[in-house]
Amino acid sequence: MLFKKMLRDISRHKAQFISIFLMAFLGVFVFAGVGGESVGLEVNSDNFYEETNLADGWIYSGYINDLFMYQVDCLGATTQMERQLVVDSVADFDNDPDVTLHFVENNTISKFYLLEGEKLDINDKDGVWLDKSFADAKGLKVGDKIKFEFENYTIEKQIRGLGYSPEYVYHASSSSIIPDFNKIGFAYLSYKAFPEDTVPYNVLNVKFDGTPENYNDLLDYHMGGYYSSFVERSEHTSVSQFADEMDQHSMMGDIFPVVFILIAMLIILTTMRRIITHQRTQIGILKASGFKNHSIILHYVSYGFWLVLVGAILGLILGPITLPPLFYPSMSATYKLPVWEPAWSMEFVYVAALMVIVSLAVSYYSVKGISDEKPADTIRPKVPKISTSGFIERLSIWKRLSFNIRWNYRDAQRNKFRALMTIVGVIGCSALLVCAFGMYDGMNDLKDWEYTQINHYDSKLVIEEDTAQSVIDDIAEDVNGDEIMESAIEIESDGTKKSGSLLVMNDTNLITPTDYDRNHVEIEDDEVSISEKMAKMLDVGVGDTVKWHVMGSDKWVKTKIDKIHADPISQGFIMSADKLEDLDLNYTPTSIVTAEHVTQNYDGVKAANSMKDMTASWDEMTEAMWLLIYILIFFACLLAVVVLYNLGLLSFTEIEREIATLKVLGFKTRALRKLLLTQNLWFTAIGFIFGLPVGYFILAIMWESSGDSFYILPSISITNFLLTLVITFALSILVNLMFSRKIKKLDMVESLKSGE
Amino acid sequence: MSTIIEFKNVNKEYKSGDHILKAMDDVNFTIDEGEFVVILGPSGAGKSTLLNLLGGLDSVTSGQIIVNGNHVESFNDNQLTEYRASNVGFIFQFYNLIPNLTAIENIELMKDIVDVNIDGLSVLDSVGLKSHANQFPAQLSGGEQQRVSIARAVAKQPTMLLCDEPTGALDSKTGVLILNLLQSMSNDRNTTVIIVTHNAILAEAADKVIRVKNGQVESIVINENPKKVEDLDW
Ligand SMILES: Nc1ncnc2c1ncn2[C@@H]1O[C@H](COP(=O)(O)OP(=O)(O)OP(=O)(O)O)[C@@H](O)[C@H]1O
Ligand SMILES: [Mg+2]
Repeated sequence: MLFKKMLRDISRHKAQFISIFLMAFLGVFVFAGVGGESVGLEVNSDNFYEETNLADGWIYSGYINDLFMYQVDCLGATTQMERQLVVDSVADFDNDPDVTLHFVENNTISKFYLLEGEKLDINDKDGVWLDKSFADAKGLKVGDKIKFEFENYTIEKQIRGLGYSPEYVYHASSSSIIPDFNKIGFAYLSYKAFPEDTVPYNVLNVKFDGTPENYNDLLDYHMGGYYSSFVERSEHTSVSQFADEMDQHSMMGDIFPVVFILIAMLIILTTMRRIITHQRTQIGILKASGFKNHSIILHYVSYGFWLVLVGAILGLILGPITLPPLFYPSMSATYKLPVWEPAWSMEFVYVAALMVIVSLAVSYYSVKGISDEKPADTIRPKVPKISTSGFIERLSIWKRLSFNIRWNYRDAQRNKFRALMTIVGVIGCSALLVCAFGMYDGMNDLKDWEYTQINHYDSKLVIEEDTAQSVIDDIAEDVNGDEIMESAIEIESDGTKKSGSLLVMNDTNLITPTDYDRNHVEIEDDEVSISEKMAKMLDVGVGDTVKWHVMGSDKWVKTKIDKIHADPISQGFIMSADKLEDLDLNYTPTSIVTAEHVTQNYDGVKAANSMKDMTASWDEMTEAMWLLIYILIFFACLLAVVVLYNLGLLSFTEIEREIATLKVLGFKTRALRKLLLTQNLWFTAIGFIFGLPVGYFILAIMWESSGDSFYILPSISITNFLLTLVITFALSILVNLMFSRKIKKLDMVESLKSGE
Repeated sequence: MSTIIEFKNVNKEYKSGDHILKAMDDVNFTIDEGEFVVILGPSGAGKSTLLNLLGGLDSVTSGQIIVNGNHVESFNDNQLTEYRASNVGFIFQFYNLIPNLTAIENIELMKDIVDVNIDGLSVLDSVGLKSHANQFPAQLSGGEQQRVSIARAVAKQPTMLLCDEPTGALDSKTGVLILNLLQSMSNDRNTTVIIVTHNAILAEAADKVIRVKNGQVESIVINENPKKVEDLDW
């Protein structure tokens, strides 16, 4: 019988139960969906690295002979190693694509991942295993022949297989961010395919025990001088680029869904509590008629339990199935992983379980509180709180206020809990919106700041290493350009080390550093300017002295900071060439920037990138971020509707009787709708006002965690601020419209029948 | 005296499943202006249904309800609202005051609906509650609440007062007070008052007694010399 009652109750309060269900579902759906995306990336890449046994580190050296390998083996920590010759070649096509060749002695570390054709055969001297993306771009098939030129050799081999490599998940030329597989590729060959008998191996792939730092120290200690550099896995371009991408995703994927699920939980709890308090008299009647306490409790607790449970489970399953596939297509164009699948993490299950348990606990305590009262007390409706006339009511204007305002003021006063919950719900939703739109603005602003306010050149010519200064000067003159040097550096202050970038330029109007407010920062010839974010991270300011060195060189120099500039994507120093040389460091230009649009090919220039190319690749790189932002905006709106509707519904059921009375007295539907709308708008306004700083705060945390190289402060444009405002209020009004139908349909006779 | 209310062949059916229940079965009667009418009948007879139809809270299945020459059954929603606002004063068993408003505010609330000048205090005075003007319903006794609800109903000067068991939740002494009040409304203000009650004694005080049974009018009795409520033998 009680079960029947439960079904009736649920169907009577359909909308409320539907919204409980929806919120449990949406909360977990977004949490697990957005989470499943970044966890999926992690799992997919980890699996790929695992399966292909990606190297833990790479030792570069000119003389990787047997003795060298013996010594590496003697380090003790090395568990596996394998040498290869890695050379840059040009494949025989019109556009001279760069193909990196790996002549391998064996292929058990960083294994070639075969997609088509035969397995890599270490004794095959005529075959080549080619990058699948490159082959696709060139229309090459297994069995085709391909010619490579490198150093003084030209070799022609037959394609035996096509596939991916864990070292080439991300593969772009040093001069552009996005990969163009028409211009770049890689290939694996047997060492026997090398045109000479002895192969001058130059890279040793190693697997080792312990941390990379320890291994590096060990290597340094025992073999310092015998090798040129050691790259650990996390520093490898492909690995770190993909890790950065994952970081970006999880930065948004972490905070936002947490806020989201918190709001959902909060609303579920309030709703459960209120539904139960509403059944107060019924609980008393059940008790008076002899039902045992625990069966009553069980009855009421099971109400929400099933709904929250089913909602949470559905969210858990559907979230990771639906959301990640929206992101993966755009990512798989840039990154090459064999598998793109969402993944589940236990964390999602814990969160879903937490939601179920907390809602269970709340309904348990609410029912218990009521069922512990004496039935006689429970059957009588709870004595309404008697409110003495407050301060405002004693003012003389009170009497002149309209009934609408008076009624709403008192209603809010008497139902503080309900009012508070509604406001908190609105705060949550508007905070989410502010945050989502803030990200939108931040991303746009960042692009504008970097590509139109700081950099004004049209083309950037990337100079090949070891190009003579005279050649560079000639090119610069030819294109009316200015030479600049960019390099990676490491800065230290008070024991804190941060990697950053160095920009050396002579007086040019093509690159104009700014401060955070976009005012031009003039850096004199004898000055060094540090970026604001770097200064903050190192906790230094103008007048302080810091130590730094160029990556790949052991030479540390000390520099006093003279200026502070701000930059959205690169943190470090800016100085003139003279200043650099004053510090006894070499000035070697790495690029030429020019206002002209350069299409001509120069010897000594690796690539000519136009501003358009760069912004296009920026757009492509941030595509996944944008998608995430849109999804967040969409779900923030959806959540807002459900929250507002649910809370509106709760108050509607509570004042249903009053509405019916007013209707009997002859109030028009329009007047009643206005009554509800007024309250709705008040709460929305208050919630919005508080939601702003909260959203700002979340946004700040998000940008804060966006990585060391990004510098964005939370802000939102006027347009988007207004849009947030309009959306919040429009949703509030929309929800109100849904209620006007309820007012119209309200059956006066039925609502007023009982004496409850 | 002129007829102000007329029920002509009124039928009201409730469908539940495939079962049809006739709550009003071919009901006919008239009520004159200023009459004090008592409707009697066993539980489930259809008394509340009758009152709700007359008050414009519910619509007939067939038949006509004519008030002041207007066909209530043909009103649309807006007209019904207008009709309720200006013609009908409802008094319920459970008072149904607006809990958020004080006694006087509950009465002055009517200014928002009808275009009459309402002096809340003097209306409250007429039900003897002037001193309770600023109390909230929860701070009033049941009888006091009912008096406020009567004051609220008469404040808008309706054509008729419809009272569904107005004393149902009160003790008999308070009940008499309320009924007395209602009778004086009818006598002094010439307001038509229709009371649904279980208490047959009240019949002696009525100008007209309508007995209802099984959704049908069983009898209509006109009292030439109605007694005063306070003179009845309670
Ligand atoms: N909404 C409804 N749906 C179905 N049947 C209804 C509905 N409202 C009333 N009825 C039926 O109509 C009949 C008349 O009901 P009504 O409320 O008018 O009786 P009543 O004379 O006022 O009784 P009481 O003195 O007990 O209040 C009853 O049999 C009742 O079951
Ligand atoms: Mg009744």
